[in-house]
Amino acid sequence: MIELFHVTKRFGDELAVDDVSLKIAKGDFCALVGTSGCGKSTTLRMINRLLEHTEGRISLDGQAIRDFDAVQLRRRIGYVIQSTGLFPHWTVARNIGLVPRLLKWPSAKVHARVEELMDLLGLPEEEFAHKFPHQLSGGQAQRVGVARALAADPDILLMDEPFGALDPITREKLQEELRALQARLHKTIVFVTHDIDEALQLANHLVVMRAGRVVQQGTPLELLHKPADKFVESMLGGVERGLKQAGLARVADHMLPLGSTLPAESRVPGSMTLRQALSVMLRDHTERLTVVDPHERPVGELSMRKLIRESKADQGHQREH
Amino acid sequence: MSLKDPLPVAKGRLCWFSPNWVLLLLSTLALGAFLGLEIVSVAPNRIVSGTGYPVFSALGWPGTLLGAGLILALIGLSCMADQRHYRGAYRAMLAIVMALLGLMPFALMVAIHRLVDSDLPQARLGIGAGFWVTLFVLLLALVELRTRLALARIWSWSLLIPIGLLWWLCLSLWLEPLALMREYHSRSEQFFTAFRQHLELVGTAVGISLMLGMGLALLMRRYPGGQKAAFAVLNFLQTIPSLALFGLLLAPLAWLAANVPLAASLGISGIGWAPALVALVAYSLLPMVRNTFIALEEVSPAVIDAAHGMGMSTRQVFLQVRLPLALPVMLEGVRITTVQAIGLTTVAALIGAGGFGTFVFQGLGQAAMDMVLLGALPILLMASVADALLGAVSDFLRPGGAK
Repeated sequence: MIELFHVTKRFGDELAVDDVSLKIAKGDFCALVGTSGCGKSTTLRMINRLLEHTEGRISLDGQAIRDFDAVQLRRRIGYVIQSTGLFPHWTVARNIGLVPRLLKWPSAKVHARVEELMDLLGLPEEEFAHKFPHQLSGGQAQRVGVARALAADPDILLMDEPFGALDPITREKLQEELRALQARLHKTIVFVTHDIDEALQLANHLVVMRAGRVVQQGTPLELLHKPADKFVESMLGGVERGLKQAGLARVADHMLPLGSTLPAESRVPGSMTLRQALSVMLRDHTERLTVVDPHERPVGELSMRKLIRESKADQGHQREH
Repeated sequence: MSLKDPLPVAKGRLCWFSPNWVLLLLSTLALGAFLGLEIVSVAPNRIVSGTGYPVFSALGWPGTLLGAGLILALIGLSCMADQRHYRGAYRAMLAIVMALLGLMPFALMVAIHRLVDSDLPQARLGIGAGFWVTLFVLLLALVELRTRLALARIWSWSLLIPIGLLWWLCLSLWLEPLALMREYHSRSEQFFTAFRQHLELVGTAVGISLMLGMGLALLMRRYPGGQKAAFAVLNFLQTIPSLALFGLLLAPLAWLAANVPLAASLGISGIGWAPALVALVAYSLLPMVRNTFIALEEVSPAVIDAAHGMGMSTRQVFLQVRLPLALPVMLEGVRITTVQAIGLTTVAALIGAGGFGTFVFQGLGQAAMDMVLLGALPILLMASVADALLGAVSDFLRPGGAK
């Protein structure tokens, strides 16, 4: 668990982070979102003491990070940055094995761990172990960056816009992989990004920052339902908020049992997001879709009218709170 | 012709005149020098100035035709060298240039045989302007060919070393009447002393300035306030003419020798190696400090950030990341400094520091150009060898190994 109590950071007279309090539970995927210069990276870098906070208190599992030796602390925390920061004079394998070697693991164990991680990140060992960073594509390099951060099996992973420099297709692929990885590993992840879609896709705890302060935090749905102010609303896509919300829901969770009427011609898999299903409706000029399972068998149907009624009820439910 | 018609394209036709202008110019120059200038000169002894001979009297018609034919082939090939996807012309030219370089010592042998009177023990063959220009131009052509063929360093070495060995063999066995060799044989002991002195001075100066330069660069990184002042002083040192610096050092070092017994017993005095070494170090500091400083500063901040973020200590970051990444650029500084010091040490002969400069200045004093060459050629050779070796090391240390 990571806790920040009234943390402030000043660079000279300039206030970079202003009285930020956060509680990131174990296993949480927390995304810090905001425009550039809002203090999100500074907040992240204070957690592994690459920057020292000026005021307040930061603690890991109840113990103040100032009680740890900074170097030892960082070896316990994975760190991934946008430009990967791979050492250009070391091979991929040596880059990944860095932290275990710093922790003086026996070399056989380091080797086995490197092999395991390369396998986990989809980097075939015989092909990549002896390559140098300049021989990798952007996506491959960032995979190595993530593998390096995971090498000593840290509980906490800090990621500073890790996919910001990648092309959209590679970015989406790596986001998907990161989500799958998190489902397996249950790390506590703090993820800095300015891409709200990325944050909505990955995080279960969203923190919106502006000018060094936390404007709002909560689950993605909470924020989409009730943005605290105009800034958060525009950050969340303004009028497209509804679509972003639909992007978080799966078709399978909103379908109705197959009715007595004829099944609709357009078919969508249950794993699709509601947003994609809406797009299919618009494309096929229909307000009903047949939902199918992976074996193409119809399992339910999705109706635009029912969806709207459902979300009205949902909002009413929200208002009562 | 309407706009929709395809543009006319010359397809698949070989264009025979697509010259590489550099090589065309060089080979034409070589031909002019070979045929038009005096190839060798012959003198009965050291004092008398020699008589020049053009190529046909030195080599006879067969030699002249062979040489001119090869150079003409170069001209012809350079006229069609620049065709795309066709490197044969460059390869052929490389072969011809290598052949010419290899034939040159034999040309000297032929000239000795034809022109030098074996009855006169002091008679000597001087190398003429035509020979020098041809040699120089061929070396330039070699550089251009190396770039065009994108030859790896190892390849250029394996081509040049046999040629060098061939020259050395010919010089030591069969080219005794060459004026250069006559000068060498009459002072071979001095030659090796000079070589040793030259190497010692350069080595010591580069070693000292490397350590001082590293220290200074590290200090400047720690105290950024001093950067400007330090660079100003180093820049100023660089602007003092070398002879003036030797002169300026004369008085304080002489005083030191007279008043500090330890200094005198170390051999420090107003002239000799001491002022030479001080001056060499002073001149070497700027390139050394500048390269070391820039090399250390320019390591990517993202890499350094990641290194700290991974939990490397400050010391580990410096020794395992910053220093190894800076090393190639730092070695570049050592290379520049070494080449510069080899040249400067020549001037140091004037204040009695020894080295190959001794031959240069003695030769100038006696108007014996061959003696000047005996000093100048080894300096040139030392500088190029140092340059190539250190360049190779620096390449090897680049991230990802030698490329």
